[in-house]
Amino acid sequence: MRAACGAVALIGLAIAGYLTAVRLTGGAPVCAIAHGCDVVQQSRYAEVAGVPVALLGLAGYGAILASLARDGEGWRTATAFLSLAGLGFSAWLTYVEIAILDAICIWCVASAACMAALAALSVRRVLAQP
Amino acid sequence: MRQKEIVVSKQATLEHRRASRQAAERAHTARERRGRRLRRLAAAVAAAAVLATAAAIISSSGGSPAAPAAAVPSTPLAGLPERDGVLGDPRAPLTVTEYVDLQCPVCAQAARESLPSLVRDHVRTGRVKLAVRTLHFLGPDSVRAARVAAGAERQGRLWAFLDAFYARQGAENSGYVTDAFLREVARTAGVDADAALGQADSAFATKRLEQANAAAAALGVEGTPTLTVRRGDGPEHVLDANPLDPASVSAALAREARG
Repeated sequence: MRAACGAVALIGLAIAGYLTAVRLTGGAPVCAIAHGCDVVQQSRYAEVAGVPVALLGLAGYGAILASLARDGEGWRTATAFLSLAGLGFSAWLTYVEIAILDAICIWCVASAACMAALAALSVRRVLAQP
Repeated sequence: MRQKEIVVSKQATLEHRRASRQAAERAHTARERRGRRLRRLAAAVAAAAVLATAAAIISSSGGSPAAPAAAVPSTPLAGLPERDGVLGDPRAPLTVTEYVDLQCPVCAQAARESLPSLVRDHVRTGRVKLAVRTLHFLGPDSVRAARVAAGAERQGRLWAFLDAFYARQGAENSGYVTDAFLREVARTAGVDADAALGQADSAFATKRLEQANAAAAALGVEGTPTLTVRRGDGPEHVLDANPLDPASVSAALAREARG
């Protein structure tokens, strides 16, 4: 289960890394007409207090991977805490995409799915400890 | 013989008791551990919920809309002729068309940072005339703004109206584009506000909005601001330049001028 968590976290890390790169290097800023990642990434919701959401995701997945490096009750709880917080915030962002921006960024949704999987796995890990 | 049996059975009973006591202790410890684990998990869930909620609240309130820059419009356009919404010398060989949405903050930024030098270096020198297409995809405020801008165009004051609008631009779709707001913009731009607002629902305004949409779709304009260029009556195409960077626009226009 730890390996599964690690694998999902790595996928999430890759997605967040890609989105961060797009966000930081993305050409000239525009107000995009087409719906999708452009709209989402350029909306004001793409930043929290000036920090790109993608970068937060990158940090979150990094922290989750770090918490998986060792085993133990504290570490398992830390993984669960991080992925539950990630899931909560991903849920909010997905709500924003659907209800407010009316635009879906498939990469953001994929990351939210990773967080959901991580949350489920990590909670199970806490409960299934020897 | 019998005594021996009794001793054995006593021992068995003792062992059995010890085993069941140990089992009970183990079960108790396991229960405790499980309880502690659940409490920890519950704490983690609660902390995660607090963190995620806090982030969501910051996210929804944050990104505070850039305070409207100085509400005094610059005057890089002063004295330039405008006809049918086209700014500059009608005989200029190149026509640059800017695709905008009046609510788009990047368009306001381009108007502040890039337009003045485009006008100074290319329009005033008679090399370029400037047209604009008011797209209106960001929301109802964009539509209303674009319609009243068409009213300003009727008075030969479209560019002044855009300039004044950008200078007062508010947060996207916050409902700031009220009639009072539009009147204020019109007054600043030297536009007859009653006439401009009266034109908002005219067939002319509708035509301008439809033309903007059709042209953007035909050219594959994907966002605003986008600059296009055409030489004389030739075909219009997207200018390969960053609209926010005057040097990049100048370089691209120089390439176009060479042909």
